[in-house]
Amino acid sequence: MAVDAKQLAAERAARLKAAVELKEPDRVPFTGIGGDVIAAYAGITSYEFNFDYEKQCQAIIKYVKDFPSDQPVIGMTGLGNHVASMAFSDYPDLYPIISRVDGPTNDILGVDYCRFPGRELDENSSPQFIGREYMSAEEYDELIADPVKFCFEKILPRIVRAFRDMKAPEAHAAMARLALEKAKAGAAMRDMFRQLQELGYAPGGLSVFFAPLDFIGDQLRDIPNLIKDLRRYPDKVKAATEAVLEPLLKVSVNAKGPGVETAMIPLHLNEYLSPALYNEFYWPTLKEGILRLAELGMKSQVFFEGRHDAHLETILELPAGWGTAYFEKTDVRKAKKLLQGHTCIMGGIDVGMVISSTPAKLDEYIKEILGEMMPGGGFILAPNIGNLPRETPIENIRAVYEAVEKYGKY
Amino acid sequence: MREELLKSFVDMDEQEAVRIARELVESDGGAVAVLETCKEAMEEVGRLFEAGEYFLSELIAAGDMFNQIMEFTLPKLQGDEVASIGTMVLGTVQGDVHNIGKDIFKVMAEASGINVIDIGIDVPHEKFVEAIKEHKPELVGMCCLITLGVDSMKRTIEVIKEAGLRDDIKIIIGGGRVSQAVMEHVGADAWADDAARGVRLSKELLGKE
Amino acid sequence: MVSPEMQKLAQERAARMQAAIELKEPDRVPFTGLGGDIVAAYAGITAYEFEFDFEKNRQAAIKWLKDFPADSPVGGIGGLDNLAMSVAFVDFPDLANQFFMVNGPMNDVLNMKFARFPGRQLDEYSSRQFIGGKNMEPEEYDELIADPVKFSYEKILPRIAGNLADLGSPTSLATMARLGMVKAQQAAEMRKTGAALAELGYPTGGGSTFAFAPLDYIGDHLRDLPNLVLDIRRYPDKVKAAAEAILEVLVKWTLQGKAAGAVQAGFPLHLNEYLSPKLYREFYWPTLKEYILRLREEGMRSRLFCEGWHDAHLDTFLELPAGWGIAAFEKTDVRKAKKVLAGHTCISGGIDVGVVISGTPAEIDEYIKRLLGDMMPGGGFILGPNVGNLPRNTPIENVAAVYEAVEKYGKY
Ligand code: B12
Repeated sequence: MAVDAKQLAAERAARLKAAVELKEPDRVPFTGIGGDVIAAYAGITSYEFNFDYEKQCQAIIKYVKDFPSDQPVIGMTGLGNHVASMAFSDYPDLYPIISRVDGPTNDILGVDYCRFPGRELDENSSPQFIGREYMSAEEYDELIADPVKFCFEKILPRIVRAFRDMKAPEAHAAMARLALEKAKAGAAMRDMFRQLQELGYAPGGLSVFFAPLDFIGDQLRDIPNLIKDLRRYPDKVKAATEAVLEPLLKVSVNAKGPGVETAMIPLHLNEYLSPALYNEFYWPTLKEGILRLAELGMKSQVFFEGRHDAHLETILELPAGWGTAYFEKTDVRKAKKLLQGHTCIMGGIDVGMVISSTPAKLDEYIKEILGEMMPGGGFILAPNIGNLPRETPIENIRAVYEAVEKYGKY
Repeated sequence: MREELLKSFVDMDEQEAVRIARELVESDGGAVAVLETCKEAMEEVGRLFEAGEYFLSELIAAGDMFNQIMEFTLPKLQGDEVASIGTMVLGTVQGDVHNIGKDIFKVMAEASGINVIDIGIDVPHEKFVEAIKEHKPELVGMCCLITLGVDSMKRTIEVIKEAGLRDDIKIIIGGGRVSQAVMEHVGADAWADDAARGVRLSKELLGKE
Repeated sequence: MVSPEMQKLAQERAARMQAAIELKEPDRVPFTGLGGDIVAAYAGITAYEFEFDFEKNRQAAIKWLKDFPADSPVGGIGGLDNLAMSVAFVDFPDLANQFFMVNGPMNDVLNMKFARFPGRQLDEYSSRQFIGGKNMEPEEYDELIADPVKFSYEKILPRIAGNLADLGSPTSLATMARLGMVKAQQAAEMRKTGAALAELGYPTGGGSTFAFAPLDYIGDHLRDLPNLVLDIRRYPDKVKAAAEAILEVLVKWTLQGKAAGAVQAGFPLHLNEYLSPKLYREFYWPTLKEYILRLREEGMRSRLFCEGWHDAHLDTFLELPAGWGIAAFEKTDVRKAKKVLAGHTCISGGIDVGVVISGTPAEIDEYIKRLLGDMMPGGGFILGPNVGNLPRNTPIENVAAVYEAVEKYGKY
């Protein structure tokens, strides 16, 4: 890494860190905006982006070069394979190869909830997670007794075609193929990270954690069933959230690469729950998870999907400076009123605007947000959802970056 | 019946040989007869092997038959009826794990009346020394099938010398890697790369032939 | 980029081998070179480093080949035959061959019962060892016959691979993933080694893959040799049926090597020496012969390494069409083989490794001179050691004497 690239990387990292520590950096830290548009910008299909490592890396580098921000914009490279991560949580060295499914690895595994462009989907779609009910209500006791064993023995065979019969040669061959395939991807990735370093981005990444109830809702029971379970088998659900907490934390540790200090926690069920249910079933183990991650040396970055307005106050139960609250539909201004000086706030750019607005309006829009959100620090500018579709007008993206440049100085 | 036993044994008719031996062993003095006949048969098999008519598979089959028959014959013999002509400590040398040849040689040597103490494969130098001290054999047999083992034999013999035991014993080496040159190189007394010859030479070293 | 000179050298070397295989006289006698444990010793590294550290291994091989160049390269990461695993995964053509040779790092993952490696189960200076073992009962012949692949996978693999003992457990699946990781690293290393060899003027591509006499699969990996020898008498029909069932699987496997670019299949023969001509012809040779012929139909040539004494079976080669391939010998005198096989089968071997270890340079010079004098005329001869391994303490001047003598006397 050249000296100026190194320095640039250090400046960027310091900027993000200052915000998390609730301070005012030199400029507002900006995560950048991207997504499917990265492939479109490089003139390749989503299928190519998802199946051709080299093209994917080239597309990302091109985009990052033209749209620099404080974090490299990578886009959506595969889907999480969280049941596998849990099933193999006692094998930390396997995490890098089983935790995510991308196009080629899905060809090997055949994951029931995955849809990929050029396969199940049109070649310009983004990969999709389409969950189903993989666990019956009768199985709560088994889940509670040993979540890792249960995920391995019962859920994986239901989710992964290659694991339908775990004893079979197909399953064993799939594991070897997975590793061989990931090694190919790894070579391209290493090359990409080297280039990113030259562009002034420090190596690193995010660990992950899930609210225990989300793990049950997304991966096992499917959300509508889980909602019913909350009323039908409240004690079992509660016991299950407690049981999965430990292995989920183990996965977070497995996912923590060298230099990684942040765990991303995407929330799903939050919006579905009344404060009463949220506080009884969802928040206790999520809160404990956040506190335990802190003990493990990781700050949390919680992505509050949907509207989190009804539960904002609970964030104050965490110690000040605990981490970052990243909002989707909840208005960051509203959040700031409550959380200023306690929690770093992230988000602010409504992706809908970027897609449908004009450069002039976007300039105005960013100016306004920054004007309200920057003062006092503790703010990271980011899109409210991660994915800009392929058709997003490039001039609008450029307008956002230019506005951030113009108005982002403290 | 002895004739039939001899014939079926030498002809590799396992079932028949074992059947006759079982019958014979029950008769008066039968156990001694079985023992002697089987020894004779083993000798004949060895001779056929040396003549190139029999191959290793026949040696293995004969050894297996011999062991099967001895299992029910030996318990029926009095102590003095199994008197041996001498004792040999036998092992495959350190670094070498081949045991098939050694095992073949062992049965044939036993069949010829040598009391063989088998100390296994990949045998460390010191273990040979310990076994010599413990069993006080007249002979030590070393088996070696890999080139690496040549050095091992040499070293083992040096260690035996250092322990002051070399003059009490005769050393015979066998296995695929031995030759006159190797014997001289390592300082052994005899060599054989086939079991029949090995047994003959062993008996000579014991002064029994 | 490989220099034109080295490319030319590689072509010459390949042509030399090819001429001998085609029973012709090349410009010089093709020489496979000597190697083994001595390669590591020559580079001043332990056997452990040689088996586990790919960079050191490559440097050692390069050093050796620079000082002792021959017509085919020696050295590199070897391993122990893991045929049962290749059979078990034969329906996965991208994997079966990758599992065949278990080297040090692979064994760290698999923990094979038949394997011992320097710096692990052995001291750092020992050479790796295949210790075999009995992994199948005679009562299981029917299962083996019914489906050798299924049987090898379900029954044998768990018995021989410590970390696959409980198939379907997290450990067994994790083991396979780890194996994949190791293989991926090694593939990258192999490419580097291949490139280094090309720069030293060794032919790339057109390589060799493995094959086994069906009975050797049973003897080496399933029943253990002495048991198989007894089985031949006790259950002759089952042994025969098993050999036939295994033949199909092994042919399929070897052809996967062809699909990956191999033009030759190397058969190390093990049971040959044990069998009388009668048993050899009845049990061993029929499926071996068919194997060779089936490969030939697919355009592959075979190289049979006849371990031990093969004298009694020499004439069986004549049942094969002339020019079928190479017969390499260990204890059988190559001169004797030549009498039977000249003009029909290319002969390989000739250098008794014992002489290289214990002779003097002058004796060796004389030995090679006589050997080449007897074997070169008429062509169809590839000079090589009778066994692959020169131990660490082989006198280097003796090695040099071999190469010098080949240089002196090897010209046609
Ligand atoms: C079967 C076999 C194996 C089996 C052994 C099974 C077992 N339980 O013994 C297995 C598969 C395990 C094996 C492993 C290896 N083997 Co191996 N193996 C052979 C093979 C094919 C036959 C050996 C054999 O049993 N011969 C038949 C017996 C009966 O002959 P014999 O031992 O000479 O015994 C006769 C006489 O010598 C005599 N005799 C025997 N012992 C004694 C002792 C005394 C005192 C006397 C008087 C007589 C005597 O009686 C016997 C009957 O006549 C040979 C090749 C060949 N055909 O020779 C290679 C061979 C011996 N193996 C070889 C090698 C390299 C190995 C390995 C190192 C391979 C590896 N890389 O892992 C490992 C060994 C590890 C080690 N450190 O020992 C090489 C040795 C090369 C060399 N010069 O060093 C050979 C020559 C093959 C080759 N050409 O490359 N092997």
